[in-house]
Amino acid sequence: MFKKSIITIMVFIFTIVSFSMAFASEGPDGNKRKGKYTYRKVYKACAATGEVESKTPKMSPADKTMKQWKEIFKNKKFDEFGCKGNWAELSDKDILDIYSYFYHHAADSPTPAKCQ
Amino acid sequence: MKANNAKTLILVLLAGLVLLTGCTATKTAKTGVTPVEDTSWMFHDIVDAKFVKAHLAVPMPENVMIIDARPYKVKYTKGHIPGAVSIPFSEFDKKSNLLPKDKNTLLIYYCGGLKCKLSHKSAKKAEKLGYKNIKVFAKGYPEWVSRKGNYASVSAEYVAKQIAENNTVIVDARPQKTKFNKGHIPTAINIPFTQFDVLSGKLPRDLNTPITFYCGGLKCRLSHKSAAKALKMGYTNVKVFAKGYPEWKKTYGESNETLQVQAGKVEGSIDLERFKSIIANNPESIMLIDVRDADEFAKGSFKTAMNIPVEKLEPKIKGLPDDKPVVFVCPTGARSGEAYYMVKDVRESLKDVYYVEAQIDFKGDGKYEIKELK
Repeated sequence: MFKKSIITIMVFIFTIVSFSMAFASEGPDGNKRKGKYTYRKVYKACAATGEVESKTPKMSPADKTMKQWKEIFKNKKFDEFGCKGNWAELSDKDILDIYSYFYHHAADSPTPAKCQ
Repeated sequence: MKANNAKTLILVLLAGLVLLTGCTATKTAKTGVTPVEDTSWMFHDIVDAKFVKAHLAVPMPENVMIIDARPYKVKYTKGHIPGAVSIPFSEFDKKSNLLPKDKNTLLIYYCGGLKCKLSHKSAKKAEKLGYKNIKVFAKGYPEWVSRKGNYASVSAEYVAKQIAENNTVIVDARPQKTKFNKGHIPTAINIPFTQFDVLSGKLPRDLNTPITFYCGGLKCRLSHKSAAKALKMGYTNVKVFAKGYPEWKKTYGESNETLQVQAGKVEGSIDLERFKSIIANNPESIMLIDVRDADEFAKGSFKTAMNIPVEKLEPKIKGLPDDKPVVFVCPTGARSGEAYYMVKDVRESLKDVYYVEAQIDFKGDGKYEIKELK
């Protein structure tokens, strides 16, 4: 009986750990380093046209959780970012890279990041 | 009375000693135990290491040729007397064209020691060819390398094997800007002879570590002078690749900085182990740019790093050098990665650009810890 309980607990722990690992490895597989550069470049270009005052982006990855970023990029709701014209010019690969940057540095990620 | 007894005792002992010595001598003479060695195979003119050293020079004078009569691959490549030409006895006829035209040239043959006949046989053959000034250094290579202050010279093949097996520290003794930066043997560190005393700290701490010096070929003395200094410092395993970089280029092609830097797993990143090795051994071979803010940089960075915060990088990209690799660093790879993509975007023609995708903890005073990102 005792042996059976031990095996059940072990299987339970194994399942939890495996699930957590699978969940942790979820997320976009774009180039987050390139995404950071592309994102800042968008705002630099946008500021040059006078649409925004500062070339420093107003939104940072740490402003939202991974789930929230997932929702935004899945539905392509980029209104909150402003600079609509510049966003429209980005390729799918560029957007995936930016998404990767935001997701992997979200508020609930291991390394939240702010755009200084 | 006592004094008389003592005198008698001494006399008896002396007499015994004389008798014993006499007996031994008689016995040897009678039995002929001492073997008479047949030395007829030896060449008639034998010289010692001092004689050889007295005739060594860099470059070798035209009227002297030191000849290694041992097999090329298994012996000569692994170590020979500096300046020696390889003419293995087994290839004497085939390679006799390497011998000097002037028959009065001093030829000094050697091989693997007193029991080795190759040098003697070669000398006799050379004599038959009409050479008039031939000597054999009979104690040969083992005697040469065992003498204090002497070192061996090695071939390009040996150096390449040592690099592949990571067995030796290769030191380029040429000047940095005019020679080393334009091309050098892969993995070599640069300690120009003129700065040897200042930069000798780059040499490994363990005095038994094999070190191979090289410079610009047979006429270049810098590697020999550096080897002599290293021996004086107490290094026990010092060699010189006397044919140096010209021979290396001829055998393995031209090498430059791009060979030294190796790309890592992530796009744009530098191989982490290679980066650590460069920072430890040859940090001047790359342009290291710390892209953190000035206040962070002030607290500590790599000794050779310059500070250009990523926000201020763009206008400076056109001024980055294209004659050495540019490597960006920051604590996590985030800002340095951004810097990398900025350069790729703004100045696509700059090919040798990398960033360090790793966690770097700067501890001040140039100390740091580098770990792979999880």
